[in-house]
Amino acid sequence: MRALSTAATGMMAMELNVQVISNNLANMTTTGYKRQRAEFQDLLYDHVSRVGTQTSSQGNILPVGIDLGSGVKTVGTGRLMSQGSLTQTGNPFDVAIRGDGLFKIQLPDGTYAYSRDGSFKTDAQGRIVTAQGNVVQPAITIPANSTGFTINPQGQVSVVPSGTTTPTVLGQLTLTRFINPAGLLPMGDNLYQETPASGTPQDGQPGVDGAGDLQQANLEQSNVDSVSEITNLITAQRAYEMNSKVISAADQMLQATSNLMR
Amino acid sequence: MQNTFLVGLSRQVALSRELDVVANNIANINTNGYKADGSLFEEYLASNARSDTGGRVSYVRDRGVWHDMGAGPTEHTGNPLDLAIDGDGFFAVQTPRGERYTRNGALHLNSTGQLVTSEGDPVLGTGGPIAFQPNDRQISISADGTISVRDGASKVDTARGKLRLVTFAKPQQMQKDGGSTFKPGAGDAPQATATARIEQGAVEKSNVRGVVEMSRMIEITRAYTQVATLLQQQGDLSQQSIDKLAEVPN
Repeated sequence: MRALSTAATGMMAMELNVQVISNNLANMTTTGYKRQRAEFQDLLYDHVSRVGTQTSSQGNILPVGIDLGSGVKTVGTGRLMSQGSLTQTGNPFDVAIRGDGLFKIQLPDGTYAYSRDGSFKTDAQGRIVTAQGNVVQPAITIPANSTGFTINPQGQVSVVPSGTTTPTVLGQLTLTRFINPAGLLPMGDNLYQETPASGTPQDGQPGVDGAGDLQQANLEQSNVDSVSEITNLITAQRAYEMNSKVISAADQMLQATSNLMR
Repeated sequence: MQNTFLVGLSRQVALSRELDVVANNIANINTNGYKADGSLFEEYLASNARSDTGGRVSYVRDRGVWHDMGAGPTEHTGNPLDLAIDGDGFFAVQTPRGERYTRNGALHLNSTGQLVTSEGDPVLGTGGPIAFQPNDRQISISADGTISVRDGASKVDTARGKLRLVTFAKPQQMQKDGGSTFKPGAGDAPQATATARIEQGAVEKSNVRGVVEMSRMIEITRAYTQVATLLQQQGDLSQQSIDKLAEVPN
């Protein structure tokens, strides 16, 4: 009975849906997290009787055919790159991006990854690094004993060196944009990697050519909306239940058939 | 007497196919732009097997599967690339199998900036696929499908084409082609529509109604069990008559 395997695809899809929703909820307070959404499509159809087939020599045709579907498939868990809300932290090393773009981070193996998480720190050499200690690109070193660390919305980093009263510009933070940021590969640790689907990275200055600007002493919250996640969770759970009922219905019918023989 | 078995069998075959249709609907209860299917049955009159049986024997036969083309509920997502169609209409999609039509409006961009479906097939505008430039931001799509963006730091909108919305004269002849797409019936050419409107930031969910499908399923299982009981009784009857008639008097 086809209904058994069809309902099984439905149960598997809803299980995956719950998995995606639970990951979103688990990351509700993760800085710079972008929520995911499972997307489904119907599977292939078995055209038992094709619509439009001639039923007589007078040219009468079948107005409807018999198309039996074989269930549902997951096509992707797309990421929604909408802006998360900003919270003020007061920490000068916290930077939030307001608009498009990601920070470029150098990994220990020399390759680059991209992140929306701007909770930066300084390492022993005074370089600006992420919470894992990876250097934010382009590398900017803050001289010892300097004060008044400032990042302006255009990404210019300036400090007041010790013994002086005028701020000096140390460097310029860049933001990287992708034509399809939803196509980036998540690596965990709030990092994303370039993929063939994301397009090539385009480094640019914050606030220029459509890139977002930077907000010092703010952090971008995750864009997970708990209300919609919970409603999605309810829908997914109920859909899972209904699919399991289909399996028991098919089972009952098979049982009725097998009971025919005594 | 064999007719009882055959009539019952024809009903059971039809019912198990109807359950397949219901199972597919329920499996797709969360599929964007999915349209529910329904089954159609018809009576099939067999010619008289024997003249003394009187009336003709009527079987049941499944005639077809129809698509419920009613609109599904719209869910607001706030994602600029989620588009719902309000009214009759389909998006045109360029698939490797040819042009297909869908109401699934959860769209994406690919690495070259083209507007594509979740499967990566380009969505067609009035002048072919729609492509965005790397500096485009604030994609806005108006109710008639006109796409405009802010190019870089520009303060005015730049047009990026217009989505092609089409309707068909015979929507019931459309065939489902998997991937939430439809293939039009033979000779049914797509026609541009001016009545359908696009809502940005929303997706059309599946129009499967859980309650209806569940009650249909109960109906199917009950009917199936009833027919099975009927067949069983018929079997008992033949058994009895064989026992009785074949009794050899001492």
